[in-house]
Amino acid sequence: MVTREDVENIALLSKLFVPEEELDSLTQSMQEIINFADEINKAPASDEAFDNINNLSNVFREDEVVESYSSEEILRNAPEQAEKHFLVRNRE
Amino acid sequence: MKYELVAGFETHIELSTKTKIFCGCTTQFGGEPNTHCCPVCIGLPGTLPKLNRQAVRYAIMAGLATHGEIAEVSKMDRKNYCYPDLSKAYQISQLYAPLSIGGYVELSNGRKIRLHHIHIEEDAGKLIHQHGDTYVDYNRGGVPLIEIVSEPDIRSIDEAREYVEKLQQVMRYIGISDCKMQEGSMRCDVNISVRPEGSEKFGTRTEIKNMNSINNICKAMEYEYERQVDLIESGGEVVQETLRYDDATNTTSSMRSKEDAHDYRYFRDPDLVTINVTKQEVEEIRKSLPELPAEKCRRYVQELSLPEKDAQLLTKYRNISEYFDKAIDGVKSAKTVSNFIIGQIFSRLETEADKEIFDVAVSPEQLNELVKLLDSGKIRNNLAKATLEKMLDSGKGALEFISESDMGGLDENALLELCKQAVESNPKAVDDYKNGKEKAIKAMVGFVMKNSRGKADAAAAEQKIKELIS
Repeated sequence: MVTREDVENIALLSKLFVPEEELDSLTQSMQEIINFADEINKAPASDEAFDNINNLSNVFREDEVVESYSSEEILRNAPEQAEKHFLVRNRE
Repeated sequence: MKYELVAGFETHIELSTKTKIFCGCTTQFGGEPNTHCCPVCIGLPGTLPKLNRQAVRYAIMAGLATHGEIAEVSKMDRKNYCYPDLSKAYQISQLYAPLSIGGYVELSNGRKIRLHHIHIEEDAGKLIHQHGDTYVDYNRGGVPLIEIVSEPDIRSIDEAREYVEKLQQVMRYIGISDCKMQEGSMRCDVNISVRPEGSEKFGTRTEIKNMNSINNICKAMEYEYERQVDLIESGGEVVQETLRYDDATNTTSSMRSKEDAHDYRYFRDPDLVTINVTKQEVEEIRKSLPELPAEKCRRYVQELSLPEKDAQLLTKYRNISEYFDKAIDGVKSAKTVSNFIIGQIFSRLETEADKEIFDVAVSPEQLNELVKLLDSGKIRNNLAKATLEKMLDSGKGALEFISESDMGGLDENALLELCKQAVESNPKAVDDYKNGKEKAIKAMVGFVMKNSRGKADAAAAEQKIKELIS
């Protein structure tokens, strides 16, 4: 059962601000999402079966250096940047 | 009332791989900001991390070197928290199935500090806080780390210091990390609590972060121990919290935690597949490990009859012990080699860093040759010492400084001749000796030693001179 407190806590952990008047509808939406996902629990299979569904193991890369991107490319999608850094503003 | 300190360590060590844990970007320290990055390590959607084989191998080596059990099946998990140093808002780590389980670090007092486990994970980016804003550089983001989690087995500051030094020594020996605390390639978080001596129950613990040297770890622990004892004695209670150590003021202060609660919502990372390690692979890695410092030290004492103190100094750094191992090949007494290294060679290596690098002008083979000349009686100890100094100055071999005539010692006649000369040219010393001044004989022995260029046997010379003047 998803409660208002659960939604508030998840919002806090995700650094999201949720207006008071949206809490009830979000709680209901989240309950619906959980119900949908709970369908999986009805499947007649052990937890292990879901643990490694692609049945792969030991996919490794060798320790060989590949050229990195330029800082211009890396910062291209940054909402804000300064002096080749991602810039995170303090909103408090 | 007396209070006992109880501490456990979480030690992060950056692995010396060439590339990051999930992509091919370089792990080189420093560099222009955000130039050692790619879509994988800045966590862009749709990218697929792929595990670095060498990081797994290094972590297994760390586990074996600390007597841990390597898990046949281990998995990667996501640790979720929202903070600018993590581009994906989660860190890929291991919680449910870490790579190495258990193990211990043995201290010189015989106590074993048990390890809970060792896991692999990615490092976070570097944050620079300025005027309330945060500048983020992801060059370090994705560098492979191991986290070594100890049990709360440490009972004193001295044990804490030795634990960290031992871990550092072992990890450097096996070559998986340079463990430089100042550069952040080794970082410790300390969980610390106090309890009345004799009590079995643990007190409430605090966690101290942000210490960049072993000295600071010790100072922070001392401060925190006193603070907790004072708090309890004045009727207060220790609050479980994370503290930041400030070395400028030597105090700890409360740190606002990343999350209000430790709600990391760990779950299996669906992008990364299971790691299977066979027993055979583990054995192959075990065989590839060098002899570890603790074993080496024990062997030097038991098999080479070295004093414990010598053995510890020689095994402190891998380069020294490897040099020593080569230099003792076929010599009569390992202690002689040890004396030359700890005495004359160490005196030329001023800092600990110099000792660790152990860049010495004389090769171990050259030292070996010198010691063998001494062993065979061809030269005497004081000539060997003087020769070693010249070798260290020049990098040339012993035979460059020792002529044929220096070797083979002195025959009886030559010694007798020199003793006669000593008596003749030191009439005052002869008189003094005859008048009961025993020490006067040393002047004449010195004459013999000097004029034989150190080849004479001082005791035999003294005996001869006494015979001559009595």
